[in-house]
Amino acid sequence: MRMNSGRKLMAAAAFAAASLGIAPAHADEIVIGASLPLSGPLAGFGSFQQWGYKRAVDEVNKAGGISIGGTKQMLKLIIRDDKTDPNASASNTETLISRDHVVAMLGSCTPALVNAGALVAERAKKPIVTGCDPLEVFKSVRKWNYAWDLFFSVPELAAAQYKALAEAGVETNKKIAFWHDNGPDGQAVGGQIWPALAKAFGYEVVQNAEFPVDNTQFTSIIAEAKSKGAEVVLVDAITPQAIAVRKQMASAGYTPKVLNMEKGAEPVQFAEALGKLSDGVLVGGYWDPSFPYPGAADLAKAFESETKLTSSQHIADSYAAAQILLDAIAAAGSTDAEKINAAIAKTDKTYVVGPIKFDADHTAKLPIVALQWQSGKPVIVWPKAAKTGDLLFPLP
Amino acid sequence: MPDIGVAASTIVSGVLLGGILALTALGLSIVLGVMRLVNLAHGDFLVVGAYAGLFFLKFTGVDPLLGLPVIALIVAALSVPLYRFLLAPLAERGPEARMMTMFAVSIILENVFVLAFSADTRSIELSYATLPLTIGSFSVPLIYVIGFAISVVLILAVHWLISRTGFGRDLRASAADAQAAATLGVDVERVQMLTFALGAACAGVGGALIGAAFQFGPSSGGAYLLNSLAIVVLGGLGNVLGTLVGGVVLGFLQSLGGLALGDGYRDLVGMALFLLVLAFRPDGFLARRSS
Repeated sequence: MRMNSGRKLMAAAAFAAASLGIAPAHADEIVIGASLPLSGPLAGFGSFQQWGYKRAVDEVNKAGGISIGGTKQMLKLIIRDDKTDPNASASNTETLISRDHVVAMLGSCTPALVNAGALVAERAKKPIVTGCDPLEVFKSVRKWNYAWDLFFSVPELAAAQYKALAEAGVETNKKIAFWHDNGPDGQAVGGQIWPALAKAFGYEVVQNAEFPVDNTQFTSIIAEAKSKGAEVVLVDAITPQAIAVRKQMASAGYTPKVLNMEKGAEPVQFAEALGKLSDGVLVGGYWDPSFPYPGAADLAKAFESETKLTSSQHIADSYAAAQILLDAIAAAGSTDAEKINAAIAKTDKTYVVGPIKFDADHTAKLPIVALQWQSGKPVIVWPKAAKTGDLLFPLP
Repeated sequence: MPDIGVAASTIVSGVLLGGILALTALGLSIVLGVMRLVNLAHGDFLVVGAYAGLFFLKFTGVDPLLGLPVIALIVAALSVPLYRFLLAPLAERGPEARMMTMFAVSIILENVFVLAFSADTRSIELSYATLPLTIGSFSVPLIYVIGFAISVVLILAVHWLISRTGFGRDLRASAADAQAAATLGVDVERVQMLTFALGAACAGVGGALIGAAFQFGPSSGGAYLLNSLAIVVLGGLGNVLGTLVGGVVLGFLQSLGGLALGDGYRDLVGMALFLLVLAFRPDGFLARRSS
């Protein structure tokens, strides 16, 4: 009778635990997690990041795992879809920490999603390594203790196209228009940095238009820039909006001489959706398989042979972020969050994206290039030292 | 203050776009009128139409605007099992059960799109879809003009179907009083199924037009559902020609909002108008003139 009661109690406890979603942790597994935009407007980024994270984890597992306290342990990567929603990014991070018992995390993409998750990780004192969050925006959120970011510097990226145009010596009427979304990076780049740099590079700002991140109609904005004769247009928008803008520019009969579409023109789906209309569109970049860093060319080849898709620079920062975290866990020789965090701080190594050493703000800056879509492929057109092709000018 | 060319181009573009959106709203309106169902998956039917247009072009090489009848049939055919197996059994459970069912269908469809087609943003690439129609400083996208013309023709065709045919008579009878119509021999369930399929076909055709003019992805349906709801309220529930007027009015006012406040405020103007009409003329602009 007693045994029966005991069994019943144990069964009830097991049922309660299962109902709460508390799965027993495997002692021989190191669990790391990530919330990624695998659906929604930013899915174009998330799919590449997922591949980069998985590849880094698979490589370590194939090599036998990581030694923790003298015992080799395999890695388990749990990825949850945040659907391009900052609230989901935060709740996914909560779940990964409380239910999946991750020892550390990898970040999402764009400031809104990364910062939402990083704030939760910070509160829980779990280390998180991320790319895909411009450094100045990342730093502006708070003084981070457990979050680490490797990405580009916004002022450097914002200046890249001006420098590329100056270096190429292209001739325009120097009238420039800015169209940017009202997200944190859109406001920083399009609202402040681009206009400030325009004067320094001798441009006359004829329009500065802001729109909601998910805006779909750009008729008035395009008509105004056209009527004001802007020959250089710089856009900061996510991919669906960048595609909409490019199509609507063409159907409005507006072809400036230079068109740069920051952020949205990065993933290959931009070129796939637009076909020939993507030719000549510029976008800032921070990685290319031609970069002289160990494993750069191989990484792109591996992606393309596995997926049969054109690679994106997002495979590189995600792959490097995961490698940095895994190296730190190995260096710590422990799954203790404090020890892993301390090991991340000591990172000083050249990864596929270049040399990584975090500064006091927990950021590591990646080099910048100017890319241009040419026949469906991104070509580096600036700086001279990294060029893989000549600037296509004017915009076809 | 924008110059006259910019203002005229923006307003005419808005009116033409409103006409295209009216076609998608028409599907929502007739389903709402006959079945008392706010079809929350209507935007997803539109996305099905856009994907159908994309793959129609890819696999046949034929312009999807020429294949609109096929696309309409595909989307309508896909909607029939949804009605038969999900909505028909809930006929006696009140409108809420059906509405929530379609909400669930919407979520499932979005996930199916992601699994089947990836979450990438797509666009139907047609050479003329990015050509402008220009007269001096006045310019509108050619695809808007084509889409508007197709939309008007189809809306008039649906109007004819509803006002001049036996099916239309049954549909109107079912909309007015389903129980009385059934008593008089109308097969209300069949009428509802065909109405649901017709609504889906309208959304599908609208989706193909929108896919050619703009871009779309698995989660694009939500935004178009909101616009369609606003048009239905403006035009009056179940009023076919009112839907066209509602679309044009919404497009016109959204364009004015875009000109005055910036393109980012188009939806704000649309939704503010939606609430105002709902508050002061809940039966729509044309309520007194329509039956």
